[in-house]
This record gives sequence, structure tokens and C-alpha cells, in this order.
Amino acid sequence: MEVSVIRSSSQAKISKTELGCRDLRFCFGKSNDKNKIFSRKPNSVCFDSQISRFRKAGLRFTLKAVHSDPILESKSPATSKSLDRLRLFVGLPLDAVSDGNSVNHARAIGAGLKALKLLGVEGVELPVWWGVVENEMGKYDWSGYLAVAEMVQKAGLKLHVSLCFHASSQPRIPLPKWVTKIGESQSSIFFADRSGQHYQQCLSLAVDDLAVLDGKTPVQVYQGFCESFKSTFSPFMGSTITGISMGLGPDGELRYPSHHKPAKSGTITGVGEFQCYDTNMLNLLKQYAEANGNPLWGLGGPHDAPTYDQAPNSNSFFKDHGGSWESPYGDFFLSWYSSELVSHGNRLLSLVSSIFGDTEVNVYGKVPLMHSWYKTRAHPSELTAGFYNTASRNGYEAVAEMFARNSCKIILPGMDLSDEHQPHDALSSPESLLAQIRTTCNKHRVEVAGQNLASGAPGGLEQIKKNMLGENPIDLFTYQRMGAHFFSPEHFPSFTEFVRSLSQPELHPDDLPSDEAEATESVQTSSDPNIHLQTA
Amino acid sequence: MAAVTIDSLLQNPTLVFRPKAKVLLKPPRSLDCSRNRKLPLSRGSCLCSFNPRRTIHVVRASSSETALIGNFDISSSDDILYKDIFPVKRIEKVEGKFFIRLDRSKDQHDWQLTVGCSLPGKWILHWGVSYLGDSGSEWDQPPKGMRPPGSIPIKDYAIETPLKKLSEGDIFHEVKIDFNPISEIAAIHFVLKDEETGAWYQHRGMDFKVPLVDYLEDDGNIVGAKRGFGVWSGALQQFSNVLLKSEASHADSQNNSIESKDSKNKNRCLEGFYEEQSIVKEVSVGNLVSVAVRKSPETGKVIVCLETDIPGDVVVHWGVCRDDAKIWEIPAAPYPPETTVFKNKALRTLLQPKATGNRSGALFTLDEEHFGFLFVLKLDENTWLKFKENDFYVPLLGTSSVPGQYGQSDSTSEEISSKSYTDGIINEIRNLVSGLSSEKSQKTKKKEVQESILQEIEQLAAEAYSIFRSSITTVPDEVVSETETTKPAVKISSGTGTGFEILCQGFNWESHKSGRWYMELKEKASEISSLGFTVIWLPPPTESVSPEGYMPKDLYNLNSRYGTIDELKELVKSLHEVGMKVLGDVVLNHRCAHFKNQNGVWNIFGGRLNWDDRAVVADDPHFQGRGNKSSGDNFHAAPNIDHSQEFVRKDLKEWLGWLREEIGYDGWRLDFVRGFWGGYVKDYFEASGPYFAVGEYWDSLSYTYGEMDHNQDSHRQRIVDWINATNGTAGAFDVTTKGILHSALERCEYWRLSDQKGKPPGVVGWWPSRAVTFIENHDTGSTQGHWRFPGGKEMQGYAYILTHPGTPAVFYDHIFSHHRSEIASLISVRNRNGIHCRSLVKIVKAERDVYAAIIDEKVAMKIGPGYYEPPSGSQRWSLALEGRDYKVWETS
Repeated sequence: MEVSVIRSSSQAKISKTELGCRDLRFCFGKSNDKNKIFSRKPNSVCFDSQISRFRKAGLRFTLKAVHSDPILESKSPATSKSLDRLRLFVGLPLDAVSDGNSVNHARAIGAGLKALKLLGVEGVELPVWWGVVENEMGKYDWSGYLAVAEMVQKAGLKLHVSLCFHASSQPRIPLPKWVTKIGESQSSIFFADRSGQHYQQCLSLAVDDLAVLDGKTPVQVYQGFCESFKSTFSPFMGSTITGISMGLGPDGELRYPSHHKPAKSGTITGVGEFQCYDTNMLNLLKQYAEANGNPLWGLGGPHDAPTYDQAPNSNSFFKDHGGSWESPYGDFFLSWYSSELVSHGNRLLSLVSSIFGDTEVNVYGKVPLMHSWYKTRAHPSELTAGFYNTASRNGYEAVAEMFARNSCKIILPGMDLSDEHQPHDALSSPESLLAQIRTTCNKHRVEVAGQNLASGAPGGLEQIKKNMLGENPIDLFTYQRMGAHFFSPEHFPSFTEFVRSLSQPELHPDDLPSDEAEATESVQTSSDPNIHLQTA
Repeated sequence: MAAVTIDSLLQNPTLVFRPKAKVLLKPPRSLDCSRNRKLPLSRGSCLCSFNPRRTIHVVRASSSETALIGNFDISSSDDILYKDIFPVKRIEKVEGKFFIRLDRSKDQHDWQLTVGCSLPGKWILHWGVSYLGDSGSEWDQPPKGMRPPGSIPIKDYAIETPLKKLSEGDIFHEVKIDFNPISEIAAIHFVLKDEETGAWYQHRGMDFKVPLVDYLEDDGNIVGAKRGFGVWSGALQQFSNVLLKSEASHADSQNNSIESKDSKNKNRCLEGFYEEQSIVKEVSVGNLVSVAVRKSPETGKVIVCLETDIPGDVVVHWGVCRDDAKIWEIPAAPYPPETTVFKNKALRTLLQPKATGNRSGALFTLDEEHFGFLFVLKLDENTWLKFKENDFYVPLLGTSSVPGQYGQSDSTSEEISSKSYTDGIINEIRNLVSGLSSEKSQKTKKKEVQESILQEIEQLAAEAYSIFRSSITTVPDEVVSETETTKPAVKISSGTGTGFEILCQGFNWESHKSGRWYMELKEKASEISSLGFTVIWLPPPTESVSPEGYMPKDLYNLNSRYGTIDELKELVKSLHEVGMKVLGDVVLNHRCAHFKNQNGVWNIFGGRLNWDDRAVVADDPHFQGRGNKSSGDNFHAAPNIDHSQEFVRKDLKEWLGWLREEIGYDGWRLDFVRGFWGGYVKDYFEASGPYFAVGEYWDSLSYTYGEMDHNQDSHRQRIVDWINATNGTAGAFDVTTKGILHSALERCEYWRLSDQKGKPPGVVGWWPSRAVTFIENHDTGSTQGHWRFPGGKEMQGYAYILTHPGTPAVFYDHIFSHHRSEIASLISVRNRNGIHCRSLVKIVKAERDVYAAIIDEKVAMKIGPGYYEPPSGSQRWSLALEGRDYKVWETS
């Protein structure tokens, strides 16, 4: 028996103890799945038989007893074997290099690299920005990144390079100046929404093959960049650098910038908007419509789509029943819109896989996890982002097939998100979407690497662990991202514990209470005081 | 049935089995696992080992400081350059046992429950019973006969009985409760409380429960039902109990074996038991570290003599420094015995036990050139002792430093602070990673190698953190100043004003003395306004029996000790000119009479409102009122006005209207509103249309045995009820928050600042827009000091109320004191960030020594000596203000 000291207790402790104290009488004999927990592993048979005797004895059991199960389970050698494959990467700060030739807070990164190496982390991910390297068209300054690569090599870590052809707003890393300048006079190189607003953080996919950049097409410019990278970093290729991910759009992801701003905390993400209103996209749409014998459908996007922050039902396009997305027009538009995205991905991935095909590095592309509104039939967030995935159609088939064709692997972010932490009204389901994409990828034999969306999401580390160690384990995971928060006392110890639990799934019994504490924490965040309106 | 083995227990379905395998559960980290546990089921594969702990030392319950100082043999020779004694506090865990025993009392009829505890302390058993047929988990009071002598009833549901030592030599404090098993009692519930520390010992957040119900319910009827006494509700599987079948019961069952099954069952149920548990108590222990520096006349070297009375192995982690920056360096050898070099940064010396007493110490011989001697004490891997969160610092150059200046955290350099941070993170990480090291060591490397790797990770992480963190705060932000979001449409209500009000109490208990307060205040009007105040509360203006104005007589006579009516008007006018609203302090609860009635009792009023005794409440015998009973509490020094009388209300409304018109008051501060129903207040406000109004509803918080309860919901509920009665037309002073701040600050119990739902525990947590937060007023502080805010901690109080929702009120004495500039800065942070009475507060930390909250995602604050830094997420925080034990950040 134990005795809780409540005096200095924070709220967390109190609720923890209360959680721990449910009388489980009801679970035994009534709820079968609880018993399954105990009988899953063959080596717990002896325990199992005791359980039945317990039951006969009319035993009352506490919830805590269930927690003990992992200890028994972990005796199984099977689980630990699969873990040897598992490689964990940690993202370096986005602005590790921000002005071409110097490494920001190099000393901190150096210390961080050593710490990660000692922890047993496999490598780090380094964002390489177009706007930092190619300050003049065709002239590349790699010195800052070379310095980082050397640091990584020296630390004995692997390096995964993310080629970023987009801009970042926080920290501020713009597109190359010369590109921005072209954009000032020629705004059609950027995506536009229905109201004509341009998204200037990356180029529109419609200009991929148009010679809009001083006589060169963006694809040619990307090619020059990648080739220069390859030759400059050839000493590292395959040894230190083991992976490259190709920037495919906003935030590097294969998608349209349908959600300009992330929703404010506490509000629910809207459906986003279609981004097909720059002149080049409209041209493509027009051609497609004419080719399909419906020229009138080629004049613009759906007139009845809601705006960015609105819910699906606020206009008729995404309505669950009888929404225009299910009409022939809807199918026409969505097919075109999504196929443009897949072709764009294909253009860039075939380019990059042909460039790096003769090296030993793996090539990746990132596919977003547009999980809001997943529980509606239309999946509006995915539709506006360019994935024609609805209740009746698997839009990821085409995507996975395209990746397979180019022998590229998929990076999926959001492995830290769990359904229970999503706002209830958002009808969102990151877990189901993740499962769908992963199943589709398996089918096409496309390997999936994981990433988290943000460090510090409630229950995030637990969820990552679940994804990495589950039935269908992920063998490579990139944890985002090194910085002050990462090393802070609020975060680093839990990360350490996370790493440790991955490499060593046998849980020391002392750990479990802290797992519980985490659970409590998430319970508390879900009852975030901010969500409740204060009386006023 | 004589010797019952565990196996037979298991197989016998009619008996309750209490599994004792501790592998089934995870003791919370904070608790110690008892090692005296018996494992009746030997399942080798499930056994887990627990890390052995440091030996526990006996608590030195009250070590007298002076006595110890006397004990230290600091050489008193003339060549002493420096000497000082540092008090250190450490938390020691004391282990003990506590037991629950159920057995027959001597007369063999009644039963007896005994609870005992071996730890020193003022133990109280807080207990109650539940009766048959009770549903839910409510406790009831036990029947009188059951209560041991010395019991105190708590409300109507519990009893508190102190545990006593039966005799001086006993180890256990005990309490015995006798009861009759035939009674209607279904179970006895209890928790254990240590009055000394205020700690509650519960069973994982719930009470201990000794059920008697099974036996009574199925008294011989249902075979196979669980029965017998047991402590359950989750506790059972942990008990390392030994089922003590009392001899008597065996005898009975044997004797009656031929008899009906009923009685057999019954007897079998009468099993006593004895449970013993380990219990851990955290005790803060004061120890001393004495340091003396002298110069050796022979060698010219400096000798530092360090001694402490901390028991056990104490390692001094030390170094020297060359200048004020206090950068650690390793001095040249020789070192004292048992010294090791730690990572080329410091030395570690194990203190050697002294021959006399239980002290240990060491002598450090150093070259002359060193500037200072730095050290921290390491008790074990997880326990470091520091000086006020910093390194201990001993100046070595006799002239350079004044003793007592050591470790002043304000001036410490970056290096030092990151160093102290480093030590903190070391402990945390080591806790987590130590398991890893011990596991892996078997496979690959030696433990020492692992240890150094772990230390390295810790150091590196800490280093990286300090750099990343500093770069975040220093990087100047790009010009992203968002266009000032349009302020929410200002809706003025008398309960809240605009919602952005900051109140100044414009007087103290002495203000009447000069006779010209109005004029004095007038000179300060623009100054007060410039500090950021929007509303000022003036003293009660009417003619009064007491000079301070709270015993009003003729309400229409506004010549008072503060000045004349004309001066008042002038003051109000100049306050309006500088943009402030003015609150009049109106006393509506009572009024002093002009004349005596025929019985010689003062209850006939004069002046323009010449009421008779019908205006006085009937239930205060002193004043023989003929009105109705009071609608609230009585204020006994003067006749209480009967607000239920139509004519009284009509007159008062007229008077308030007149004050608004004639003087220009914008609103009201209502004195002693406990005295009459809030519904009348609503009536008065609707008639007089104040811009802002606040009532003084001051009653006592709840205390248990002199210690304030954590939960003050009933207190704030009374205040909220009053606000509700006024229909929200008035705010109320948040007395609850003040009270909780008192306890939190005074006793370093910052956890009190979060209620069970993670919200502020005062009125401000429930109805922020109507809470007028304050820390002091003319009654609580000033020269009266009825309930003075903890001295020296006023700024923490203001850092709390001026960053939090509610309408903050600042007391005159604090504005015109050395706190002035800090208060002004807090107000400007509040205004700059648009914090208002409905701002959202998110409590991010409420721990023993630190409370931190983020308000509207724009302002972060912490109070208390503990560590907190706002998270470095998408927002960039920059330090806006810092003072003694508080910090305020805003998003940049």
C-alpha cells in the first residue's frame, strides 16, 4: 500500500491519484478486452491463469494493475528486435544558417549535437533554404551549410537534408531576393485565392515549366540548385548525408497553400480555400475544361466554396449531403485540381530522384496531414489542399503511386497528434487519416518516415511512441526541432525519457507513474481553462 | 482452518484475497517503497528491484541555531579574514510506519479499530463513518459512543481525534476506536493528517475505508459472497497484511461448527487484521554551514575552513574565482583528502567527520591570489544545497568584500546563472537517465563510463539551452508591430466601468489628521493619473462621529475632517480634469443618531433626513429599532439602517442622486455591504447610475486548526452571492484573493494560487469582471493593520493583481512609497497589453515556491522564489519587469 502526500500537491497530483484509484471490480468478468490485455502474450500465461482465480475470488482490482502489463510484455524478445531498425533524427533549428556563410548559435548546436549523439540519436535534419543559398540566380553559397555538415560529421551523426524552396515566416527566411523581385512585377508566379490574394511563400505549381525566372523555368532553377548541392556535398553523400527531402510546396509539403494561417489556439480550423486563381492556374483549368468538352466549367473555381475560416456547412460545396463536391462539376474540378498537384510532385520528384539516383541517399517528399474535417464525408481540408480524398474515394492512391514511380519515400508529419486532443467540433481525426495514408503507402510499397508537428503537443511523445512501436512500426522518425524549448527543463527530460523508452522498451516500474502523470497532464490540457468562457 | 496458507486463500472462492504483489503497481515517484513487504506469490519473472536509497537520518526536530553556532569551532584568532555561517534548508524524507489494526476489544463484544503511526508529528485522525443504506461517498458523524475522548466534530460529517502515545516509551502514536459490529455502521473512513506540516496522508487521493458492510449485508445468507473485514477501495492489493485470525474467533468457529451455517459464516467474518505500511514524511530541516577564512602566518597561504552539521556524506563541489564574475576555476594542488576533479571545472571533496559531535568539515589551503571561494554542497546524486539558488561565495581577499554580500543574485553574471541552471537540469536528467545507465551497464560499459556520459549530456543540454534561450531574448524583433487590434467595443456597466479600470484608494487611516486632505490630494491628482490610474476612491465625505468618516451622522453635511464641501467639489473637478473617475465612499449600513428616544437610546435622526426609530433594524437590542429585522449582519457600533423601509430607500436614492449631481461623484464604494441585502444595492444603483461601483464584503476565510484551507470556495461564494444579489451592478473587493495571497506568500505555499480547476482561487477565478482585487486598504493596513499584507512581499501581491483579470485596486500608502516605480511599471505593462477585467488567465505553474501564469497570451508573470521562464514557442517573451521574487514578461 502506498500513502500519498497531498500537502505540497499541485493539482496534477491530486487528479493523478484520483485517476489511479478507480475500483476495477467492474472490469473483471465484465469487460473482456481488459482480460485480453493480460492474455495477449504467451509468456504471461501463468499470470493469466491467476487472473481467473482472482476472478473466482471475487477480487477487486485497481486500474493500476493493468499498468503492470507492459512489464510482462516487455519480456518478449520480439518487440525489441524490431526496434534495432528504428532511427531517430532531430531537426536542427530552422535558422541554423540564415545568411549564407555563418552558422547561428554554432556553439549551442555543437553542444546539442554531442548531447544527441550521446543519447543515441541517429542523426539530425538540416533545412537548407533556397533563399539563403541562391542569393543571385545561379550562384550558390553553401559555406554555412558545409560548416554544419562538418559539425554533424564530426559528431558522428547522420544528416538528413531538407531542400526548402519555400519561405519561412517564423523565423523569417524569405525566398531569394531576385525571385521576390520578379514576383513584384509578375505576381502570377504565386498562388492566388478567390479574392485574388497571393501567397508569396512559394511559387505556384502552374509555373513549373514556364520560363518565368529570367528565362528559366522554376524546374530548371531547382535542378541547378540540386546539382550544385550534390557536387558540393559529394564528400558527405551516402556517408554522413543519408537522406534528402525535396521541397514540394508550402512548408515543403506537397499541397496547395489552402490554409494561409494556422488557426488560432482555441478556434477550429476552417476548410481553407482553393488556390486556383492565378492566371496560370486559370489557364490550365480552362484548357482542361475545353478538352473535357465543358468549357464553361473552366472559368474559375467552385463558386459555392466557403472561405478560409468557415466551417464546411457554411456554403453548399462541401455539404455532407447534396454538396456540389459530389456533382459532376465537383468531380471534374477536384480531379483536375488534385491531378495538377500530383503532376507537380511528379515533376520535382523525378527530377530529384534522377539527380540523386546514383548516390546512396534516400529521397523523400513530404505529404501533409490535413486532418481537420476528416470525419465529414467531403474532407474539405484535404480537398482544398489538393487531395481528392473523400468518404468514397481514396485520394492518396495517386499520390502513393507517384512516389512509388519515382522510388521516393514519404515523410508524414503529425505523428504526435492524437484524436482525443483535437477539438471536438473540428470533426478531425489525425489518427484515422494517418492510418489511411500509411495503408495506401504500404499497398504501393512506399516507405513512410514520421515527423511530429510540434514539440510539446499534449500527449505528443506518447503518441509518437505509439506510432513508432505499433503494429506497423516506422523505422525513421524526425523529431522537430532543436531550439531553446527543446533543451528547456520543461522539455528535454521528457525527450530523454522518450528516447530511452524507444531504445529500451522494457519499462522500469518506476516509470509508470510518470506515464500516468503525462496522462493527467493531457487531461488537464483538454480542460484548458481558456476553453471555458469566464463568466463576465 | 487454523493455518491458512496463501494458496488455500487463493483457491477458496469464499474468501477475500488481498493480492500483495507490489509488481502490480507503480508507486509514485515521490514516495518511497517499503521494503518490508512480503511477497506471498513468488513470481520471479515479475519481481522488480528498487533502487536502494540513501540512508535516512533522524530528523533534528528543532535545532536551535544559536546552540549550533556555538558548537562550531571556528578559530577565533586574530588572523581571521572572514567568517560566516550560512543557514541551509533541506528536505529530508523521514520514513516510518503506520498501521491499521482491527481486533476485538477486551470485553470480546465490541471491536476496536486502532490506527497508529511511528513518525514524530502531531497526528490527527480525520474520520467518519457511513451507515448502511447510504449511497455515495459521503461521510457521516459516528455515534457519540464511538468517539474516543479528545475528539472534535468537524462540521456535521467528520471527527478529528488526535493520535497519542500511550506512554512515553512508545514508538507509535495511536488512536483506538471502539465500535459494536451489530450497529448500522457500514464502514469507517479516515485519512491521517499531520498538523505539524499540514500534510494529509490519504490512500491515493481517497480515504482509507474499513468496510464492515459485507458482513452485515450478507449475514450468513449468501455463500460465496465476499466477506470479512478488509481495507479496500483500491488499497487492498497493496497491503502487506498478515491475516491475524484472532484466537477467539477460531475457538468460536470450532465450537459452533455443528451449528447452522449462518453463525459459522458470521464468525468467520469476524476476522481481525493488522496492516502495516511505510509512510514517508518530508521535513524541512535547517542546518548550518560555517566558513572561516584565515591566513596561515607560516606559509602565507589562505586557509578556508568549512564545517557543517549536515549528517551523512557531504561532498563539497568547489572552485575558486579570480574576480567578481565568479567564474569557476580549479586552484593548484594540494587538495584536501578525498578530493576528485570533476570535469576540469570543479573539485569535489568529501567532508571528513569531526571527532566531536556529528559534524564534518574540511580545510582548503589556497594560494593568496584567489579572489573568492565558490562552492555548493552535494548530499547525494539528486540533492544539492545552494545559497539562495546560487553558489555559496566566500571572499578570500579580506578587503574586497563585505561579509554578507555573497551570492547576491542580482549581480551574478550569465555564466553563473547558467551554471546554476546546469546543476538543476543535471538532477532532473539524471533522475530520468539513471535507469538507462544501470540497465545498459550490464551489457556494454562500466557504470562509471555511463555516469560520465550522462553528466556530459546534461552539461551539453544545459549549455545549448542557455545559448538558445539568450539568443531568443536578445534578438530584436522585426518591425512586426501588428496594427493595434481595435479594442473591444467599450460597454460601460456599473459593475466593471470600461473593463480597463485601475483603481487607486486615495486615502489612508491617517488622512483626516491634516484637516485638508482634499487639498493635498488635489495637488497629486495629475501625478496619480499619470501613473495610469483611471478611478480614485475618496474617503467618506459626510459628517461623522469618528474622524475617519465611517460613522456618518447627517448625510447631507459634507463638511468633514477631510475638508469642506467646496474643497471636495474642487478636488473632484480637478480629478475629472486629469481624466479620472471619482468614487464616493458611502456608508449605507448604519448611521449615527442625533437624539435619544424616550429610553435614552440614540436612535432618532436629525438633519435633512430626520428619520425616527422605524428606520432602525429591529434585531439589534442596543438601538431599539422599530423597523424590520436586518437583511444582513449587524454592525454593532451604530444603529443599522432598515433598508426594507420604503421611505429609507427613497431618501437614500435621493441622497445618492444628489451626491452625483452636486459633487460630481462618478460611482460608489459601499462600506460594509454584509449588513444589508444586495438587492437593495441594485435598487440604489439603478437610481443613481454609477459609472463604477464596488462593495466591501469582508468576512473571514475558512481555517482548520489555524491553517487556511486550500479550498476557499465557500468564502468566495458568499462574495459572489452578494454580487449576484446586486444583479452584477457592483463589483466586490476580492477578499478571498487577498487571504490566499497572504498564506501563499507568507508560508511559501504558492500552490494555493490555483484552485481545483486550475483557475485563480479567489473571486477573480469565478467572476473576474466583478472582482476588485486588492492587497491592502485603510482597515487591513495603514495604521490600523487589522490584517496586514505580508511585509516585504507587497510587490509580489501587486505583480499578481496588476497582471491578472479583475479590476485591481492599489492602496495609497503603497503608491507613495518606495514601491511607486515598480507599481507604475506594472500598471504600464497592464495598460500596454490591454489586460482588462475579463482577461483570460492560464496558470502554468502553481508549486511550492513558484506561481506562474500567462494572461491573454500577452503577459507572463511569476511570483515566488522558484524558477520559471515562459515557454519559448511561437511567442517571443521579453522580460518587462523584475523585482524581488517576481518577474513579468510580455510578448515582444
